[in-house]
Amino acid sequence: MIFETLLSQMPYLVHGLTVAIGLLVCLLSLGLALGLVLAILEVYGHWTLRLVCVLFERVFRGIPAIVLLLLFYYGVTDYIEMGSFTAAVLALGLRSAAYQSQIFRGAFLSVPNGQMMAARAMGMNKLQAIRDIIIPQALRMSIGPWTNEFSSELKATSLAYVIGVVELTRQAKYIISNTQGNILVVFGVVALMYFVVNRAGNWALYRLENRLSLPGFEHRGDA
Amino acid sequence: MSAWFDFAIEHLPYVLLGVPTTLGLWVSAMTIGAMLGLVLAWARIYGNRPIYVIATIYVEIFRGTPMLVQMFFIYLGLPEIGIVFDPLTAAVIAIGLNTAAYQAEYLRGAVRSVPMGQMTAARALGMGKFQGFVNIILPQALRRVIPQWSNEAILELKYTSIAYAIGVTEITARAEKIGYETFQFFEVFLLIAAIYVVMTSIVAQLLLLLEKKVSVPGL
Amino acid sequence: MLLRVENIHKSYGAAEILKGVSFDMAPGQSKVIMGPSGTGKSTLLRCINHLTPPDKGRIFVDGEELTAKNLNTMRQKVAFVFQDFNLFTHLRTVENVAIGPRKLRGFGKKAALDLAYKELERVGLSDRADAYPAELSGGQQQRASIARALAMEPKLILFDEPTSALDPELTGEVVSVMNKLASEGMTMLVVSHEIGFARKAADEIIFMEGGKIIEQGPPSQIFNAPQQDRTRAFLNVIEHGDDA
Repeated sequence: MIFETLLSQMPYLVHGLTVAIGLLVCLLSLGLALGLVLAILEVYGHWTLRLVCVLFERVFRGIPAIVLLLLFYYGVTDYIEMGSFTAAVLALGLRSAAYQSQIFRGAFLSVPNGQMMAARAMGMNKLQAIRDIIIPQALRMSIGPWTNEFSSELKATSLAYVIGVVELTRQAKYIISNTQGNILVVFGVVALMYFVVNRAGNWALYRLENRLSLPGFEHRGDA
Repeated sequence: MSAWFDFAIEHLPYVLLGVPTTLGLWVSAMTIGAMLGLVLAWARIYGNRPIYVIATIYVEIFRGTPMLVQMFFIYLGLPEIGIVFDPLTAAVIAIGLNTAAYQAEYLRGAVRSVPMGQMTAARALGMGKFQGFVNIILPQALRRVIPQWSNEAILELKYTSIAYAIGVTEITARAEKIGYETFQFFEVFLLIAAIYVVMTSIVAQLLLLLEKKVSVPGL
Repeated sequence: MLLRVENIHKSYGAAEILKGVSFDMAPGQSKVIMGPSGTGKSTLLRCINHLTPPDKGRIFVDGEELTAKNLNTMRQKVAFVFQDFNLFTHLRTVENVAIGPRKLRGFGKKAALDLAYKELERVGLSDRADAYPAELSGGQQQRASIARALAMEPKLILFDEPTSALDPELTGEVVSVMNKLASEGMTMLVVSHEIGFARKAADEIIFMEGGKIIEQGPPSQIFNAPQQDRTRAFLNVIEHGDDA
């Protein structure tokens, strides 16, 4: 009985899962690009830029994810037209940028000073040195801590539920109201889906870290 | 901007009435999390095989799935088998069980970072394993865990807003209500965003003070 | 003159580290700067390629003055070898040597690698080309960093205490590479207390103390008949193994 219901509703759950993963990929990409820029400006930028970046970080890390989602969805859409998915990508992506910039900043600072000095002594300008010498080292050291960020953002995608993004958690609620019950089983299955994606992601990132590891970079999560 | 200030001042009292709920929810959940976290950490370090496995599964499940789903499971799901909670209790339990898993891991890491020699010296004095843990290892581990624990506490303070999804009238729910009454959603969410930033900053400062106060040279 | 150092001054806060240092170098010359520690030798070397910009004074390389504008092109002509090597940790040995030609001198990938292998051969490291820096001994790392400097085909190489981070048994391999370069006509300015290199390969010893040059001349004169008491006292200390 329960299994039949579950089987017939599975396509909706799978669709919800793909929306959740799509949201995750978009927000992590936005967070990665912006987080990297923030980190570079914070470590190598002029003090005024540094101040702006720190302010951005403080604000986006100080506000709960749900409030950011509501702020972007109900609030910003008063001025700029956007759908709930876009609002979720922006709200969670900017927040993720604040967290990721911390990861990258830590990694940049853990690259020994001599690396930058040797690159500059050779005649590289600052930008070349950051691009060719510092970033390849810092990114390797970031993968460990970044895995935590991946997990935490995967779980955060469920919060997009509150602004009506039809992701996995909202699909579960729909199914529950449509089939009048099966609440424990449906949420159990949904929890399992998040769990599996989380595990798979962690495993893939762990593999990536090992594949990119070099002598001198063996320590996971050193940054 | 000044229009926003007028709006903010007008609605601040109503929103602030949610602060005791938010803080009460937070303190209760953190307390449950600390106590259960300690037990879980103990089980993961010193427990025999079955106890270790149970604790590990607990930690993996609660860290591997979203808190919102856990909250729905407890608030909406458990009544199916006759266990009914009001929204606030369900939220306290959900957040408490969730943070317990994280606190257990931080504590476990801290305990493992205490040098082996400390336990050996305690045993050499004639303390039992449990005595050694409580009197020697734990006081050191707790000091080491404070920075991570502080981070966790601040994260959870922000996560209390998730309780709004099951109808707890804390800050976020009150803000939404004002939003529907005034249709000034942006203004009111901006207001509570500021309140959260202020609350988390104050808590962060207090926790830093705590860390300084209990710090010991060499730890 | 290949290098002209003119009246270099440098202070850190109230402490004046360099109090007006001037000297010249002709192409193919090797000079060794010696003197007690804390006397500004390394600071002087860093001022020459503006890793530490001097407060006052001018640097000319091949007749062209080093300024903030031409810094990066000038640095390609003046290579630097660090005390603690500073090989790029994420690159294999051969990539460490190839990255300069590839990224700064416009070489194609193949040409840069060819050059890198050639320079590694020069320092006797061909067999370690594929190793990462963390897999090399200190002496090998320093030889690799010399190869990295050579691959820029610089007019001049600055050596900042190239053997002082090495265990005594590993200094020999680095010194013999440096001797070889000197004999091939490379222009080298070396801060070091390595008597072996100074006696055998240097054309001139510059003796510094208190931020100034107090004596300079050929090794035979400095080692056998120093004019200044302080030079004599210092040489006494280092020649008896009690490194200053």
